[in-house]
Amino acid sequence: MARIELKNIQKFFGAFQVLKDVNLTIEDGEFVVMLGQSGCGKTTTLRAIAGLETVSSGTITIDGKEVQDLRAADRDIAFVFQSFSLYPHMTVRENIAFPLRAVRMSASDLDAAVTEVAKVLGIDRFLNRKPSALSGGDMQRVAIGRALVRRPKALLMDEPIGALDAKLREQMRAEIKRLHISRGSTSVYVTHDQIEAMSLADRIVVMHAGLLQQVGAPEEVYNRPANLFVAQFVGSPVMNVADITVEGGAGSAALSFGKGQSLPVESGHVGHLPGKRSVKLGIRPEAVLLRHAPVPGFAESEVSNIEPLGSHEIVDVRLGDTTLRARVEPGFVGGGQRVWVGIDPERAHFFDADSGMALRRTA
Amino acid sequence: MARIEIKGINKSYGASRALRDLDLVVEDGEFFVLLGRTGAGKTTTLRMIAGLEKPDSGSVAIGGQDVGGWTAAERDVALVLQQYSLYPRLTVRGNLEFPLRAPGRKFSESEIAARVDRAAKTLQITHLLDRKVERLSGGEMQRVSIGRAIVRQPSVFLMDEPLSALDAKLRESLRVELKKLHSDLGATFLFVTHDQVEAMSMGDKIGVLRQGRLVQVGTPADIYDRPLNTFVARSVGSPPMNLIEGRLAGGVAELGAFKLPIAANAAGSGAVTFGVRPENVILEPGAPGEARIFDIEDQGVVKILVMDMGEARLHATVPAGTRVQRDELVRFGWKPDRVVTFDVATGANLALS
Repeated sequence: MARIELKNIQKFFGAFQVLKDVNLTIEDGEFVVMLGQSGCGKTTTLRAIAGLETVSSGTITIDGKEVQDLRAADRDIAFVFQSFSLYPHMTVRENIAFPLRAVRMSASDLDAAVTEVAKVLGIDRFLNRKPSALSGGDMQRVAIGRALVRRPKALLMDEPIGALDAKLREQMRAEIKRLHISRGSTSVYVTHDQIEAMSLADRIVVMHAGLLQQVGAPEEVYNRPANLFVAQFVGSPVMNVADITVEGGAGSAALSFGKGQSLPVESGHVGHLPGKRSVKLGIRPEAVLLRHAPVPGFAESEVSNIEPLGSHEIVDVRLGDTTLRARVEPGFVGGGQRVWVGIDPERAHFFDADSGMALRRTA
Repeated sequence: MARIEIKGINKSYGASRALRDLDLVVEDGEFFVLLGRTGAGKTTTLRMIAGLEKPDSGSVAIGGQDVGGWTAAERDVALVLQQYSLYPRLTVRGNLEFPLRAPGRKFSESEIAARVDRAAKTLQITHLLDRKVERLSGGEMQRVSIGRAIVRQPSVFLMDEPLSALDAKLRESLRVELKKLHSDLGATFLFVTHDQVEAMSMGDKIGVLRQGRLVQVGTPADIYDRPLNTFVARSVGSPPMNLIEGRLAGGVAELGAFKLPIAANAAGSGAVTFGVRPENVILEPGAPGEARIFDIEDQGVVKILVMDMGEARLHATVPAGTRVQRDELVRFGWKPDRVVTFDVATGANLALS
């Protein structure tokens, strides 16, 4: 059992406030990913949970017990960093067994615990090797093994696969997720990589400038971003954002992109927006629709750039004052070609031009 | 004219061989991307062309002239690096003017002003001209360093991972800007990266480099759809191409107990390695293959399924709305005409060898 609760956490480094009133509950057995750019406060939050960093005010509880004044060693939490920090002179077996030295345990129990965790991680073949004989991925597996062997209440990971190459990262992502499922320990994982967050998390916590921007399941963060920051931080290519004005009256309306170009929409999609004010339209590349021939409700444009990515292509088209990026099948259009551009209104997002907050229909 | 031609270049650093018999041609006005991992020899190649490094043997020609004896300054190439290396005390304008005021270059004041203005306009940094460099964002700084390369109007641009230090959003927009810049200037671009997305999205041609050797040169479509071997096949695409050992017999692909259809003209017979990209693996009730779902990665726009078929681990890219559970058994097939066959031992593409 390890339910972690942060209440009104503030943290200052000198006059600089790194964490601004962070409130977050991590349920027992949950996999939570803290996502943000460097300097957003995600690592500080993680270190505060671990006890490697004090907080200026606020409470941290683990299973209902306040721990903010406890030492790291007394919190029963394990930590995995990006740098592997293994003991180079010890074998893999000795490295994994190291945290158990402090625990009274028979030699056979100790051996069983080490072997079990090594099997789960697929490194049981290497138990007698030195870390220097291992690949980067295997070293990180050993580091994770060492963190898990004590069966801690919670596992905290700070960009654990950030230093590995792309292929290995992909492979390790799936393994870490499976490991979490089989072990069931509460996991908190810090990354700046939105793909890692999307693929690993039960819930993603998006942070920016010391503030929680949104907490939600990957699908929710992707499909219902709370504000512009979240909208543009999650997804690749980034969500298109255009300054538009909403024109129109009963029944139908139009989104004007400037330079006389607009797209009609049913007023049901925009009725909740403040009248006659400019807002920001957010639309993901897969919700920008391209056609080869004129279609009612679509506007004429020209292809200005194509990124052929193999499995799909990202095509840039100009609409009024903005460039929209569209995701299409390979070979759908050629450079400089005339196309007709529309959007899927069901997947259109609107944001307040000043605050950046999502303007949602109150359905 | 700035065609770059490298012939038979070898370069060693002590016992380690950085480049082995490297031949490479970059046509005049081409956007050429060298793709490879750390240590593949990309940066060394670039530095040879720039004149910052001397080959042990072989020749470098730019615009038909052997430049082996020329200094870096004489080669009329501009270098843009990952680190910006700007003068922090100078304004943006001061940084852009700097190369034009170098000793030995005689430009009139009006010519300098005109060139700086033009470069600033191209890179959309006109509004920053009087700002100190230290007050710029990373993306702005990288634009200034590209600007500093442009003002000299060189015929060759050499770029060494110029986008790697930037965040994802900036990288995306600078990719598009660099391509536009290339078409506006009409200069020869040689761009070095380890990022396959950059290579695919920007290159007229991609050269895949491995351990100092050029493995394949081709358009992004060549590299993606017609890889010369399994190494190239796995260096582009995300997730990379699935490679599955099996047998090709009687016009059918045998993957363990499963028989999948394959194009009639598929090359090879007997034991082969089948290559299929994740987007060409299809989940369908009643399909011939069966696999167990190991993991599901929701990327928003699509889902990536990690599946186990016996010992083989496969990736499938499926629509975001696909509903599957971990450990569920699913039926899968593939697009038969999109399957590539490789030699089991050498990894060579059997259709191209």
